[in-house]
This record gives sequence, C-alpha cells and structure tokens, in this order.
Amino acid sequence: MSLGKEFSKGILRENPLFRLTLGMCPSLAITTSVNNALGMGVAFTGVLLASNIVISALRKIIPESIRIPCYIVIIASFVTLTEMLMQAYLPELFASLGIFIPLIVVNCIILGRAEAFASKNTVVPSFMDGLGMGVGYTLALVIVSTFREVLGTGTFMGHVVFADSTYSALIMILPPGGFITLGCILGFLNLLQNRKVMKNRQATQLKLKQQVAHEVSSN
Amino acid sequence: MRKALKLGLFLCIVAGIAGLAIAYVNDLTQPLIEQQMEAKKLNSFQEVYPEIEEVKDESEQYLNSNTDPLLTEVHVIYQANTPVGVIYMVEPSGYNGKIQLLVGADILDKKITAIKVLSQSETPGLGSQATESFFRSRFQGKSMGKQLEIVTKEPVEENQVLAITSATITSQAVTGGVNVVRQHFLDNFGG
Amino acid sequence: MREMVIIIIGAVLINNIILSQFLGVCPFLGVSKKLSSAVGMGVAVTFVLTLASLITWLVQTFILELLEIEYLQTIAFILVIASLVQFVEMVMRKKTPDLYEALGVYLPLITTNCAVLGVAIINIQKSYGFGETLANSLGNALGFTLALVLFAGIRERLDFADVPQSLKGMPIALITAALMSIAFLGFTGLL
Repeated sequence: MSLGKEFSKGILRENPLFRLTLGMCPSLAITTSVNNALGMGVAFTGVLLASNIVISALRKIIPESIRIPCYIVIIASFVTLTEMLMQAYLPELFASLGIFIPLIVVNCIILGRAEAFASKNTVVPSFMDGLGMGVGYTLALVIVSTFREVLGTGTFMGHVVFADSTYSALIMILPPGGFITLGCILGFLNLLQNRKVMKNRQATQLKLKQQVAHEVSSN
Repeated sequence: MRKALKLGLFLCIVAGIAGLAIAYVNDLTQPLIEQQMEAKKLNSFQEVYPEIEEVKDESEQYLNSNTDPLLTEVHVIYQANTPVGVIYMVEPSGYNGKIQLLVGADILDKKITAIKVLSQSETPGLGSQATESFFRSRFQGKSMGKQLEIVTKEPVEENQVLAITSATITSQAVTGGVNVVRQHFLDNFGG
Repeated sequence: MREMVIIIIGAVLINNIILSQFLGVCPFLGVSKKLSSAVGMGVAVTFVLTLASLITWLVQTFILELLEIEYLQTIAFILVIASLVQFVEMVMRKKTPDLYEALGVYLPLITTNCAVLGVAIINIQKSYGFGETLANSLGNALGFTLALVLFAGIRERLDFADVPQSLKGMPIALITAALMSIAFLGFTGLL
C-alpha cells in the first residue's frame, strides 16, 4: 500500500471514532467546545505518532511475549511527557481537559495501532499511519464538538454565532448531548453508506438488464 | 527460568529509560509550572484585591480546629508592614459539588473588595453564571457588618444580594461562603 | 461514616461514572448486548476497580510521594493495574475455576477500561484518605454496574423494536444512553 493511502485511510475509511468506534470516552467528555476538541486531538496525535515511531523502530528488539507491557510503558511515558509540556506551556487547556490527558494511556486506539500496525511495519509507514489516524480522530472530535458548541452555547471557538442566548440548547453541552450528537452522526453516516450501497446495487442491476436486453436484441 | 529473568530485565531497562526521560523533562518543566501557578494565584488575588504590595499566606495562624471547616486559606495583605486587607479561600457546597471561592476584604473599610469563583461544577448556563462579573459585582463593596442574605427580587436593603435567575441554590452557596468569611473576619480583624 | 455514605450516593447516582463522567464508555457500549454478560462485566469491574484504587492509593502515598516522584504517577498506575488484572486472572483460574469461567473473558478487557485508571487518578486528585478512597471507588464501581445492567436490559428489548435501518446498532445505543443520561440528570441536587 502506498504511503498516501496509509495516511488517508485513517481519515475516512477507517476513521477511528466514526468507523471503528474506538476512543469514545474523550470524544463524549471533552467535546463541549471546539477548542478543547482541537487541544485533545493534537495531544492525542502527538502521543500516537511518537509511540508508533518508537514501537516500529524497536519492533525487532522487543520480545514477543512481553510486548504488551512494553507498549504500555512506552505509551504511558509519552503521555506523561505530553501532560508535563501541556501543563507548562498551555495551562488553560490542561485545566479544561483535566483527567482526560492522562487517560490517553488507556485509549484503545493507541494500543490498537501499536499492536495492529506499528509492530509489523517499518518506521515511515507507521508514521503515516499514526498521522492519518491522529488527524482523522482530531477531525471527528472537531465535528462532534462543533455541533455541541454551536447548538449548546451559540458560539464557535468562543466567537458568538447566535447572539440571542435564549436559543441555545443547554442539553447539548450537558452529558446527554454528547451521546445524542455522536449517535446522530453515526446514524447519518450509516444512512449515507446505505444509500451508496443501494445505488451501487441499482446500477449493477441496470447494467445487467441492459446487457440482457443487448444480448436478446443481438440474437 | 533464565528466559523469565531476561524478559524481566528487558522490561526493567525499558521502564528505566522511560523513567529517566520523564525525570529529565520534569526537571525542565517543573519550575515553569510552579511559576505559572504562582502567577495565576497572584492574578486571581489581584482580581479580588486590586492593589497588593505584599501578601503572606497566614492560614496556619488564623485557621484551626475551631474555625469553620469551609475556610481553607487566609492570606493577609500588607502595606508598609501593616495589614490592610485579607483574602480568604472558602469552599461552600453548591448544587453539584464544592465551589472554590476567593473573597477579598478591606480591614479599614470593613467591606468586601470583590469575590471570585476559582472552580465549580454547577449546571452550565445556570449556576455556572456565578463565575461571571455581573454576579460577582453584586457582592462588591458590601459591608462586613451585617449577615448577607440572598433575595430573588430587586434588593432594597444594603445586606441583600440578588440571586442568579433559576440558580438560587448556587447563589445561596456563594453567599453562605461569604458569610462564613464575614464571621471569621469580624472575629479576627476587628468587629 | 456520614461523609462516606454521601460519597457513595454521589458516585452512584449524581456523578455516575459512565453517564456523567464518560469513563468506561467502551465496555458500556461493547458488553451490553446481553444482560448476563453485563452482570458479569459489572462484577469483574467492581472487584478490580475497588482493589486497584486501594493499591494505587497505597503506591501513591507510600512510594511515589515518599520518593518525590509523583510525576511517574501515570506510568506506575497503569503498570499496577495491568499486573493486578493478570494476577487476579491467575489466582481465579487456579482457586475458583467456576468464577473464572464466568468472569475470565472480561478480565483482560479491564486493563484498557479507562474507568479503572480514571477513578484511581481522581482519588488522588481529590486528595482522599484511605477510607474515602474505598467509598469513592466502591461507589463508582457500583454506579458502573448499575448503568451497565440497566442499559443491557434496555438493549435486549431494543432488539425487538422497529428501529430505522440506519440507526440500528451503535447509533440507537448511543441515543438510548443519552435518554438514560437525561434521567440521571434528575439526581443532581439530591445531596
């Protein structure tokens, strides 16, 4: 597979949140504002990239039987580093993401990519894979949080969209809003896919009919 | 057995390298983090007491088992070595957990200079408005002399404070915190 | 004692770990298709979460804080949890094969359950003592089990419902969870 494909698969076809439904916890908890979602996405991508690179580089050295504990140690170290750097340079963001920064450790996407991809591939493809998955996850977080922030508080990245606050639906930034938004987005994506499948089916049926008609007429 | 030892050793080496790397970055970032926390604290202090020349944490001196447990910190502000004001940290319980509140008071005027909510988990859009300036300003300049009370209609008395619409419990919690401060202030800094 | 009861009720109903704190959502959606497996998962999580919280509290207090290496918290906690899960699995397999049969499959999943690490970290952040840690982790674990079992009960019925094609599976599960979360919002202000 080409490097471009390694990158793009994480964004659409294998989007970790929308397609694989992994890493749900942060996607529900911190998507109350677009800024938080972006911050979380960047932190997550950083950890995923670093862990993918190191694990793919060490894949021949790490003994098979203790690979999982090794991966966990590597991932946890990068998470801790991210946590410290964030606290030092972006204290506001660190405060609003709170406990979900250390919890990147147990985000199934990262361990999943380490096990499924980085442990079997060289450094460059693993880098592209991590970048694609990270960007895909960030994009998904931003989409969810856009709906929640705009509908819930009438702002987008802190800028006012709807001036009249009586029209903001508070429930969207409360916990239920997270579940509703993600549920509706997944449903919408399913709808799109079902349509596509239907269309393809109809197209092939039409083709078959034409073929049959053609064969009949030529006989 | 030898294999187990080897694997264990490998894991130890990995953990050791990780530990060293983290320790190194920690040394780099720790001073920055502390500096920022200090700056943030001073900033929020300045929001509740505008002119601070010197401030000292005197919680140990003023807080003991007899004082109200809601009070967590007492900072005294000095000007030319005489105490002029006090900043309290108090943690009343709101609608949905603790509210961390800073209250500044002037010793000379015996008035509240300002209040500030540091952290809260109240309902977003309702109780969380306690952090906004319109509600904070309702406490500004109130006298320490009388117990404050929360009202839902336009206040008429000096010691009345207008509640946040649909968030009476949060408003009451904040006022309760201020009243605890008031009691301690009167007992310790002259009534 | 009263304090502990308040912590437990708060953790089970008001700040439910899944429905309002969003910890442990993956197993909540993953193992809730059948009531029996939901009960199994709930029991396994309750056991591991409580034990892990107590051990991580001890590790934090008697190792990390004494050596002043609190910054290794994340790494230390996740290793403790991972080895604890392994250990519990081993002991269960040898001593109580029946229990292992029932819960064994859920154990490996618990290592990456963010509820376990999350509660362990929250206990430290809130600077709880040993007793409060016990109460908080037990409450959170019970809250997890409660939400999971209720949700599984609903989902078993949902299989027979006439759901639009596109909403089948995950989307309708999430929307159902949203309705449950709204119901649990009603508990705010209970204490």
